[in-house]
Amino acid sequence: MTVLTVGIYRFWMKTRLRRYYWSSIRPGGHPLEYVGDPLEKLLGFFIAVVILAFYIGVVNLILMFISFSLFDGNTVAYLVSFLGVIPIWFYARYRARRYVFARTRWRGIRFGVDPGAWGYAWRALVHWAITILTLGLLWPRMTFWLEKYRWDRTWFGDRQFDQGGRWTVLFFGFLPVWLIAWSPIILVWQTGGDSETALGLVVLSLPLIGAASIWYLVRSFRLLTKSKTAGDVQFRSNARTPRVLGIYVLGYALTLLVTGIAATGVSALLLALAFAGTGSEFSFDEIAKTLTPETWVQIVGITMYFLVFIAWGTFRHVFVTLPIWRHFTETLEVIDDASVHLIRQRDRDAHREAEGFAEALDLGAAI
Amino acid sequence: MSDAVISTPFHVGAGHARPKGFADFFDGISAISHRVEFEFDDVSRTLVIHQAESPPFIWAIDELRAIPDQADKKKLVLTSKARPLARLIFSGETEIAVLRHRAPKLSAKPPVRGKRRVIAWAAAAVASVFVIVFVLVPVMADQLARVLPTRGEQALGEATLEQIQSALGTEYLPVDFCWTPDGQDALDTMLARLGGGELDLPYLVTVSVLDHEMINAFALPGGQVVFFRGMLDAASSPDEIAAVLAHEIGHVAARDPTRIALRSAGSLGVLGLLFGDFAGGAVVLLLVEQLIQADYSREAEAAADSFGIELLLDADVDPGALGTLFQKILDQFGSASGIAAHFASHPTLGDRIANAQAASGRLSAPSPSLSGEEWQSLQAICD
Repeated sequence: MTVLTVGIYRFWMKTRLRRYYWSSIRPGGHPLEYVGDPLEKLLGFFIAVVILAFYIGVVNLILMFISFSLFDGNTVAYLVSFLGVIPIWFYARYRARRYVFARTRWRGIRFGVDPGAWGYAWRALVHWAITILTLGLLWPRMTFWLEKYRWDRTWFGDRQFDQGGRWTVLFFGFLPVWLIAWSPIILVWQTGGDSETALGLVVLSLPLIGAASIWYLVRSFRLLTKSKTAGDVQFRSNARTPRVLGIYVLGYALTLLVTGIAATGVSALLLALAFAGTGSEFSFDEIAKTLTPETWVQIVGITMYFLVFIAWGTFRHVFVTLPIWRHFTETLEVIDDASVHLIRQRDRDAHREAEGFAEALDLGAAI
Repeated sequence: MSDAVISTPFHVGAGHARPKGFADFFDGISAISHRVEFEFDDVSRTLVIHQAESPPFIWAIDELRAIPDQADKKKLVLTSKARPLARLIFSGETEIAVLRHRAPKLSAKPPVRGKRRVIAWAAAAVASVFVIVFVLVPVMADQLARVLPTRGEQALGEATLEQIQSALGTEYLPVDFCWTPDGQDALDTMLARLGGGELDLPYLVTVSVLDHEMINAFALPGGQVVFFRGMLDAASSPDEIAAVLAHEIGHVAARDPTRIALRSAGSLGVLGLLFGDFAGGAVVLLLVEQLIQADYSREAEAAADSFGIELLLDADVDPGALGTLFQKILDQFGSASGIAAHFASHPTLGDRIANAQAASGRLSAPSPSLSGEEWQSLQAICD
């Protein structure tokens, strides 16, 4: 469907998926509801296209020109163009989150996020700079402060969220990631090994870094959830690292397997069709001959390309995204008190461009 | 199914059936969950929702709407057009059956609002992309191409060539250049015959051959002219190659390739933006296609033609060879392949062949652009 409509259907698809996912989260027995409108997403996408088309077309052309005239190469242009997109990227992330919250309801009451996307963008840039300057060591500080910026501006009805706690509690969880990431380099530097040894060690350390990162993410999620409040309402997450790790490993293995099987099956089918189309009998000698009409090869190739892409996306949804989502929401407790009843409705946030920028920049938020 | 069957579990009133039941209710004003009793009034076709301390809500049955795509299939979440923020949640199987039976428009789609605005912005998006790709970027590229410094132009040419080489290659191996000392000598001789070194250009024109079967040749920013092996194979005399070379030098002299390269740098990103995630690879293909086809404007082609013809005449080489080559490619491959398609789609192809042949009449004693020996070594440059 998405292919047939040159990508336009994805706004409808996204809306339906979200409605389903949201309704499967039932804090206190009452489901969340997603009320976003595909048409407003389409509108937001168009608005973003108008603005970004200018940026990408004109600004990139000028950058390319300057880069070639002054630096005899296009590396500078790509670099500057890339750096220029980063603040827009954070801006888009914040706005997309604001849109999604504004279209989420629970107990008939709207969530909401205060405007503040540019503030978020420059803070994110500064935090990234600090993180890079400290060789990644202050990553947890960034995690915490950006989370706090986002949640302190988030509302449920007329009740404001608050992210309490200190960033230092996240630090311990990050140490393994940091140590594993740097150890190959330090080892090689200490022992004077060559670059091949270094590369080998890096490859070996990748799965470990993956596992450590998941531990960090799950642990931070639990800690940050514990120190979030909305008035007197408190939260607790019991998400477990082994479970999440298992879902990732198994989920991606299954996705790969099923997509592979589907791709093999479909290409065999298409090949058979190609033979049927030319009326020749099946034999490997004939393959070269049959496929010479380059149109066939192109059609098969392009169809395969899109099918594999879409199959991968779909199966990843089923085997990875949905189970992860389910685990995190099932283990989330809302420590509710009577004060929930005091919460009143908030005004609608029109938010005209919806998540258009995020869409156009292809930020691919989980859903 | 008759009403009687469905309404048996409910109280039957004195006059007519008023099926009742319980549901959870959110009024859309506060977060309080109300357990409410509801009642169908079949006479006025309404759903009456009784609240503990306030007067009941009365919703018209035709205005009831179910919230779609719910994960919990055992529940039915209901709202009313009159109070779109309120939610009534049914959990009992019988209640849901009764409701579905009575309210026919539960899954009616809400009217599409703001359609005009979407259409307006869609038009604006298309228009802005159109203006940027076909007006703004070309105009800017033309201006910038004029002032791009020589070194920059050469670097642009090198970068473009690398992209073409890797895009045409297979399995991560870029297409390679053909080179033999004698073959390169022949190319340089031909270039010198045409006066390639005496042009009023800030850089030297260079000629090379790529090992690819496509019948084509193109010029790159910075004075590089590149032939594909297929072109050398298709030609039957050195003059045909010389004619193509003269034509491409015409493009170089007018800085056409620089314009095209800058243009595609600006416009292709915009196209990628429109199609979202899955077309990334397609855009790269498109880029290469465009660079090779080098769709110059009709004026640019005509200018390159006449520039080329002048070069050939000055060098005493027969310009009619260009026409011969086009004709041969057309006859041999029909209109569907490579350069033939490109030139055949050009409405003035006939005129161009005629021009070339007319110009050949102006030459009293044409001499071949290469000796027989040189031509042989040029043809063998890829062996």
